[in-house]
Amino acid sequence: MTAMNMAGFPILTTILMTTIVGLLVIIFIPPEKTKLIKQVSLASASTGLALCLWLYHAYDFHKGGLQFVERVLWVKSLGIYWFNGIDGINLPMMLLTSVVLFTAVWTMWELENRVKEFYALVFLLVAGVYGVFMSMDLFWIFVWYDVSLFPMYPLIAIWGGTRKEYGAMKLTLYLLAGSAFILPAILFLWAKAGGHTFDLFMLQKIGFSLFDQKVAFLMLYLGFGILAAVWPFHTWSPVGHVAAPTAVSMIHAGVLMKLGAYGVLRIGMMLCPQGAVYWSHLMALLGTIGIIYGALVGLAQTDLKYVIGYSSVSHMGLVGLGLATMSVNGINGAVFQMFAHGIMTALFFSSVGFIYDRTHTKIIPELGGLSKTMPIASAFFIFAALAGIGVPLMASFWAELLVLTAAVKVFPVAGILACVGMILSALFMLRVVQRTFYGDKNPKWEHIPDISRFLAVPRVVLMSCILFFGLFPKVMLDVIQSTVIPFVTRF
Amino acid sequence: MNSLTTYLIISALLFSLGLLGILQRRNLIGMLISVELLLNAANLNFMAYNRFVSPDPVTGQVITLFVMGLAAAEAAIGLSIILALYRKMHSINIEAAQKMKG
Amino acid sequence: MGALFRDPVLFATVLGTNLPFLSMAVILLFTRSKPFVSSRISVCSIAVSAVCAVSLLVRLFSAPALQYQTLWFSSDKLNITFGYYLDPLSLLMLTIVGIIACLVQIYSLGYMAGDPGYSRYYAFQSLFAWAMMNMVIAGSMLQLFIFWEMVGLASYFLIGFYYEKWSASQAGKKAFVMNRVGDVGFFLGLILLLIAFGNLGIPELNHAAVTHGLPQGLLTVSSLLIFCGVIGKSAQFPLLTWLPDAMEGPTPVSALLHSATMVAAGVYMFSRIFPFFSASPDTMAVALAIGTVTMLLSSTMAMVTYDLKQVWAYSTVSQLGYMVMALASGGYVAGVFHLTTHAGFKALLFLTSGIFIHEFHTNDMRIIGKKGGRKLKIPMVCMAIGALALSGVFPFSGFFSKEAILTVLASQPSKIWYAAGLFGAVLTAYYSFRLIFHILLPKGGIEEAHHEEHGASSHEHEEGHHGYIFWTMAVPVMILAGVSLVLGFTEHTLEHFLMRSIQVPGELVAPAAHAVSVAAHVAAGGAHHAHEAGSPLLTILGVSAGLLGIAIAWFEYGRKGASRNGFLSYFPAIWKLFDCRWFLDIFYRKGLDTLVYAGLTSLFTKNDRRVIDGGIDGICVFTEGSGRLFSFLQSGMLQFNLLLMVLGAGAAVLYFVI
Repeated sequence: MTAMNMAGFPILTTILMTTIVGLLVIIFIPPEKTKLIKQVSLASASTGLALCLWLYHAYDFHKGGLQFVERVLWVKSLGIYWFNGIDGINLPMMLLTSVVLFTAVWTMWELENRVKEFYALVFLLVAGVYGVFMSMDLFWIFVWYDVSLFPMYPLIAIWGGTRKEYGAMKLTLYLLAGSAFILPAILFLWAKAGGHTFDLFMLQKIGFSLFDQKVAFLMLYLGFGILAAVWPFHTWSPVGHVAAPTAVSMIHAGVLMKLGAYGVLRIGMMLCPQGAVYWSHLMALLGTIGIIYGALVGLAQTDLKYVIGYSSVSHMGLVGLGLATMSVNGINGAVFQMFAHGIMTALFFSSVGFIYDRTHTKIIPELGGLSKTMPIASAFFIFAALAGIGVPLMASFWAELLVLTAAVKVFPVAGILACVGMILSALFMLRVVQRTFYGDKNPKWEHIPDISRFLAVPRVVLMSCILFFGLFPKVMLDVIQSTVIPFVTRF
Repeated sequence: MNSLTTYLIISALLFSLGLLGILQRRNLIGMLISVELLLNAANLNFMAYNRFVSPDPVTGQVITLFVMGLAAAEAAIGLSIILALYRKMHSINIEAAQKMKG
Repeated sequence: MGALFRDPVLFATVLGTNLPFLSMAVILLFTRSKPFVSSRISVCSIAVSAVCAVSLLVRLFSAPALQYQTLWFSSDKLNITFGYYLDPLSLLMLTIVGIIACLVQIYSLGYMAGDPGYSRYYAFQSLFAWAMMNMVIAGSMLQLFIFWEMVGLASYFLIGFYYEKWSASQAGKKAFVMNRVGDVGFFLGLILLLIAFGNLGIPELNHAAVTHGLPQGLLTVSSLLIFCGVIGKSAQFPLLTWLPDAMEGPTPVSALLHSATMVAAGVYMFSRIFPFFSASPDTMAVALAIGTVTMLLSSTMAMVTYDLKQVWAYSTVSQLGYMVMALASGGYVAGVFHLTTHAGFKALLFLTSGIFIHEFHTNDMRIIGKKGGRKLKIPMVCMAIGALALSGVFPFSGFFSKEAILTVLASQPSKIWYAAGLFGAVLTAYYSFRLIFHILLPKGGIEEAHHEEHGASSHEHEEGHHGYIFWTMAVPVMILAGVSLVLGFTEHTLEHFLMRSIQVPGELVAPAAHAVSVAAHVAAGGAHHAHEAGSPLLTILGVSAGLLGIAIAWFEYGRKGASRNGFLSYFPAIWKLFDCRWFLDIFYRKGLDTLVYAGLTSLFTKNDRRVIDGGIDGICVFTEGSGRLFSFLQSGMLQFNLLLMVLGAGAAVLYFVI
């Protein structure tokens, strides 16, 4: 925060530019040259990944706080700044975004329908996501947020699968309804602060009255909560995931849903700490309901993608519960869970995408016995399922441990119920694994070859991410914690 | 007889006839002619006020000239639209063109 | 890193426990398509592990407990450490696990030969060995829990190894989920301790419990919750039904999982924080009751089944019940000693059964008997040794450990536990010899038809018996039989060894990053019970209980002209009750179906479809409908629109004029 002007190389803007440059280049490539388009996309995504990795490496967590700050006044009369910065909360999110984008682009290598438009829209979407994560200015956060929402409609409606128009429409309406809560809340805070700055940190210093905080936080929570699939605003998520093409599901469930939780944390809890404390019981309640409800409804689903969609609801409930505790462990766990779930669910959709591409079905009873014909492709899914169950030594285990420890301490009943949710999640993940992959060899799929080495790469990347952060949670927790500890003192 | 009222009455009659025509005629050409009547009613008003109320600066006459130019342009565009419509529907009856229905 | 190579103990520990993981990784990544290489890699690594374990045991036999610890990460005040705690108990268990796992893997070379999933099998075996060994030497309860879960995971894969079979994958799932039920309790107990006590180090926990550093209420609640983990993992009542189902896995897996390792993990955990548990009399009372109920229930189940592996599975459950009873009544040494001897003879029993099953391709003891099971001399003798040990006959190992347990039980104020223990001993001897006599002296003798066929292809069989496959299976079995013969006589050595870590009075030294000798003392005098030499009367009673059981079995199945039906067949209702596992499974199935699937799940799904989605769609339909309502204004008639415009303008004029 001390560096008030452009200091050094604007690395964050560069990361944002990788996607926008990628987008522009793709626009100027003739649509027939699909191979070139894919190569350009991959190059752009890997540049972003490399830069994010470097960023992660270069971030000094001993010092903590906001680093790599870029801050220029943009519109003086309204107080809008081009203000980007990195701290322990958005750094994991940036890394997550770059990993998921990289793997998503690679996963869709076999796409043949309107390749150019697809990749262009994906990059537009991810530009918005990067923007939200790195921006520290309320105005820009909102602008990028809407930039990231808009491409979802065409991406699902054109390249989607089951009931794509319905899914696309539902998703768009829900998310825009969320925006309708967020924009007034942002403007309300801006106006209450005198109407001359959108800078998050300056707003934070101003401090709002308790009543204002309560109102603004509730609106922000509802608005962003819709995106984070908080119960009962979750039904868009399974429907949207089912309809979306693989890469979009990956980005969407992996990253976009995190925008919601991130927004609650970054804007809601940062600007309205007292309001957040006031509503924390509601957050804990909805989070816990989400955990158990998602797992139970997931038990009854017959579509693979629906199952994953509901597991996301369940896992995002855990994030909500972690945030609701307003304690270091809870928020550490919530942010870690956001990261872990993002990677895990990307792996889920990535492996289901492969299965769907080959078998043209994702109805569980029609599949079955898949691990006989495609053992490696099945192994990816089973691995993701184990991560979803929260098996130790995978990233999500530590996140669950931290969240539940905090939850049992702050909200004992909710914490215990959430622990019971662990049994349900084991039951429903194993049920899916058993019905899809175990059992006798299915003659229908006998001719299908296993996943090729080239296509296995993105899945392996995701798997190793889960394992790495499962074995060395310190690498991530130190970073997260450096920001969360000062953050929590405000509650 | 040579007073402002006479001209105003005539212009009002002209305007009413034009309005009636535009609301009642089903023929697009007829409607276009009615529009001309409306415009000319306005022109007559401008001229009359110019003549009887403020003769010195000829603002009224200038506006009338503008309106006439506008009417010519409007007739040209209107006729070309009618032509295009005729090519598509083989009719210039307005009742045939009802696609923008809610 | 330097410390790793300077300190041979640490080096052996790290190497021994992590080598199997390495071998799993190598097998899965590189040698999946080369079964021969995979199996050799796995066997070699587990052999090295076993050697490391034994050498650690020898080297640290009279050394004080060692602790290695490093901070893994910390979040807020929560410090998660990773470390090893080497005391007599963990060293003993490490050795048992290493040796049994090694023998089972050697045995599997023959048993699993030709299986399409050979490499996968060895990968999972290695995973299992890794998880188990790390669990045993864990320095903190959280680390123990982590590897405890990994053990569960590995067992899920091993039990469901024949995943083409629906029942096998079902059994794997059942094992995992039922374990999860217990684990959630365990986990909650740990969280509770973490919140209230802030430290999960095993020595610290034991010390705090002993020195009354923990409030009694917290202690009781958390120990009861942690005991849920024991119930799940060691298949105690009411979560005992997953274990018999787990016999769907390959027989060596049953031998590994259900003798020395996975199910013993629960009992191991109990003894690991024994001082902690024993500081709460309520928990001990609950544990004693649960152990007794488990022991009796599963013995009755074993009396009616004809499936070879099922008998041993039920018997495992009942022996685990014995161990829990012993520990719960304060017999630390007795419980651990029985764990040790049981590991030996139960692995022996499973492995010999595996030879029969491999030979005759059936699990039914009657068919095996008819087809001439007794002709396989080595396995038959070994199985008899195992059964004698299980029934507690002198001089086999089971005799000593069962005596120790009964002595502890006899010292309880209420004699009902002792009576239950004695009754259980009768039942144990009865069902094991029922099985032995079924194979040894089949009803109507050995079938002639089979005999002739056997004679015709005798040459081939001879080769089979003395071939490579037979011997890879027979050698481990003979080693285990030898162990079962001599292990009992080590009772006193073992007792001294074990008591050292738990009895030495003195202050607990705060753990540091490096080796720290830790000595805890037990306030509860329970641990002393095993010291008291059993009175001759108790010994006579114990032995006669076993002999009585064998005698009944002889009367019904062994003697000439015996009915070979068992007295229970005269009571069909009871037979059915025992055969259906006291309807526990049916109860769970019903509960799960009605409560979860038909109840909550379908309710919530309907809520999702009807209420939430329906509500949202309803709003959309409403919006659309109201739009349609006003759309009549947009009639498409140009002149209608013009008319409206004129009327509107007229209305505006009127409004402004008037």
